[in-house]
Amino acid sequence: MVAAPLLIAAPLAAAFAVPLLRLVAGRVVRFVPPLALLANLVLGCTLIPQALREPIVVSIGGWRPPFCINLVAGPVGVLLAVLIALVGFLVSVYAVAYIRKEPSDRYHMLFLLLLTGATGTVLTGDIFNLFVFFEILCIASYVLTAYDRDRAGTEAGFKYLVQGTVGSTLILIAIALVYGLFGTLNMADIAGRISTVDSPALFVAAALFVAGFGVEAAIFPLNAWLPDAHSSAPSSISAILSGIAIKAGVYAIARTTYTLFNAPGLFGLLAVVGVLTLVVGEVSAYRQREDVKRMLAYSSIGHIGLIVFAFGLATSAGLFGAFFQVVSHALAKALLFLAVGYMIVKAGSKRLSSLAGLGRDMPVMGVAFAVAVFSLIGLPPFAGFMSKLSIVYAAVATERGVMIALVAIVLAATVV
Amino acid sequence: MDALNHVMYYVGASALLLVGFYMVLVKTNLIKIMLGISFLDTGTHVLLVAIGYVRGRTAPILSESLRRSVEVGVAKVVDPVPQALVLTAIVIGVGVLALGLSIVVQVYRHYGTLDSRAVRGLKW
Amino acid sequence: MRRAAALVLLAVLATGLACALSAIPFGRDKIDVANHYIREGVEETGAANLVTSVVVNYRGLDTLGEVTVLFVGALGVGVMVYGRPAHGGGNREKASLIVTTGSRVLFPLILLFGIYVFLHGHLTPGGGFQGGAVIASAFLLLYLARPGRTLSRAKLGTAEAAGGLVFVLVGVLGLFATGYFLQDFLPKGRPGVLLSGGVIPLIYVAIGVKVGSELARIIGDLIETE
Repeated sequence: MVAAPLLIAAPLAAAFAVPLLRLVAGRVVRFVPPLALLANLVLGCTLIPQALREPIVVSIGGWRPPFCINLVAGPVGVLLAVLIALVGFLVSVYAVAYIRKEPSDRYHMLFLLLLTGATGTVLTGDIFNLFVFFEILCIASYVLTAYDRDRAGTEAGFKYLVQGTVGSTLILIAIALVYGLFGTLNMADIAGRISTVDSPALFVAAALFVAGFGVEAAIFPLNAWLPDAHSSAPSSISAILSGIAIKAGVYAIARTTYTLFNAPGLFGLLAVVGVLTLVVGEVSAYRQREDVKRMLAYSSIGHIGLIVFAFGLATSAGLFGAFFQVVSHALAKALLFLAVGYMIVKAGSKRLSSLAGLGRDMPVMGVAFAVAVFSLIGLPPFAGFMSKLSIVYAAVATERGVMIALVAIVLAATVV
Repeated sequence: MDALNHVMYYVGASALLLVGFYMVLVKTNLIKIMLGISFLDTGTHVLLVAIGYVRGRTAPILSESLRRSVEVGVAKVVDPVPQALVLTAIVIGVGVLALGLSIVVQVYRHYGTLDSRAVRGLKW
Repeated sequence: MRRAAALVLLAVLATGLACALSAIPFGRDKIDVANHYIREGVEETGAANLVTSVVVNYRGLDTLGEVTVLFVGALGVGVMVYGRPAHGGGNREKASLIVTTGSRVLFPLILLFGIYVFLHGHLTPGGGFQGGAVIASAFLLLYLARPGRTLSRAKLGTAEAAGGLVFVLVGVLGLFATGYFLQDFLPKGRPGVLLSGGVIPLIYVAIGVKVGSELARIIGDLIETE
């Protein structure tokens, strides 16, 4: 009962405490994020055994749901919360030495707040609360993208902000429609009442949700901001954006389509969108020669397409494959961005050609880079291979001709 | 006339939303894009409040007389939940707008112009 | 070309909205949740203002999130203007005599009004955010009256962080006192009296201070640097 809200409150309180800490001891501030996230990691791990048996439902404020907001820490929620804490902890350790541009204490506060938003998004059971925590995540990532205040970062941050805000508006309109139709904001309650209303209004609301969360998740027509943002942000932030932020968007899409609407047509749409995103992402990644971070960003788009496609399969095997892929991609991509960040600092430029041969000078980085790349491509025995295999298996198991054809495209594209 | 009364608020909110989308999509001045975002916010808030309205009732602040009527069992106030949602949404909108404008100022410092067609440093 | 595509998109959106909104008749009574708040709200929370009881008590986690969003926004503005030199102040038009004299009279009155709004949030329309915005507008008036002045932003920053921390601490205290995060643990008192509503006035004072200093700091950041 106590632990679940602490997962959200701990990084939040740490972020609020930083300015007061700064008055006392300025140098210590850099170590606050790793400590807070380590606490979160431990806390999340202790929740796992209980969450796997049955979802932990915590009511905030002591009222009965649906008259209050409740946190639902089910297996998916706790797993993602632990993933967020793990990736966040590793990136924050990296950032202790990497972030040198002032005002660095604000960077650490924003970093903690971004992770608070992400953790809150995956743990909440109320649709408007999902929106609020999602906004915390998005706004913190707009600022952190433009953190270096250089030419590229500022432009990327602005485009990200405009597109992200349009997406958030669509989400809010959808929430308004859902409230107008059902009179409640609790996700479990809405799921229970969904069959009482049968009208195109539901389709409009579902489409708005997918489009709104899809901006942050970077699915096909809505991903224009991602290559700019992920390549122009400081590398530790690129790691967090590619590893965590877009996953939160995909989780929100999954949560709304599965829990709330559960309509077969919607899943087919997701599968198609997923494949389109995958193809566009991987083809664009192949064409990059200039900027290695841009290539990694396009590859992220491709992998999100794969994950969304797996969600679109609408079977439990597909769901398993999708979340497995979420975990393996988050870890591998974060590792890649961190390694590339150091390589860029060493080599002085982002061009692919100037990074060649660095493996000899920095052997540890070289090994890390190789491991991550192999995992992403899907070479056995790395995690990426297992997750892709489970997705392919799930697709074949559905025995629908369309799915098999799509899987063939998927396999061809990811080899690229 | 009664029919007009029915749809007035929805039409108004939708009009604000559409104007906002148009400005964000089509306008090239960065400040106008931020203004479009402000229109979007306002339209959403009006929509939310309109959805919460119940015909013939008043604001959800229970003064003495209203409290007595509630105890009797006749509720004469509108839905308080969308108003709470709008409160949150307004604050979020303010935060985004302030942030966006400060980024616009920084863009102007780098590029010297507010024309979004000129702010194209990042290519394919 | 771009204009045509945008208009097509808008037409699609408009039809979608029309379709959806026709299923939600205007002025229809809501079920369940809203009626529960209306019927039981005063008794369960002690606040006469139902919107306040929803914002602070029933959906307190949303308010915590909202306070955080504003905090992130203020931090963001601080990051974006960092390092830019403060303007001299000499190149701005001086304010007229009415504004300068009026501001000296109005500034404390506006501050008082803002404090009144957030202190009485559970009794009359208003609350922490509204009161905080009024307080920030008092500071804006000061800036307009004297264009070259600077405000002590460090002090405002400390006030802001303290306000936020108080809010989180109240929530955690609720957690330890009653087992639920953000639960009301102070006595409710009689509705309609200033000291009623449990933790609501406490939270609203914290929010009012926080939002006021935060918005004042954002205004200060944007005005004082070039």
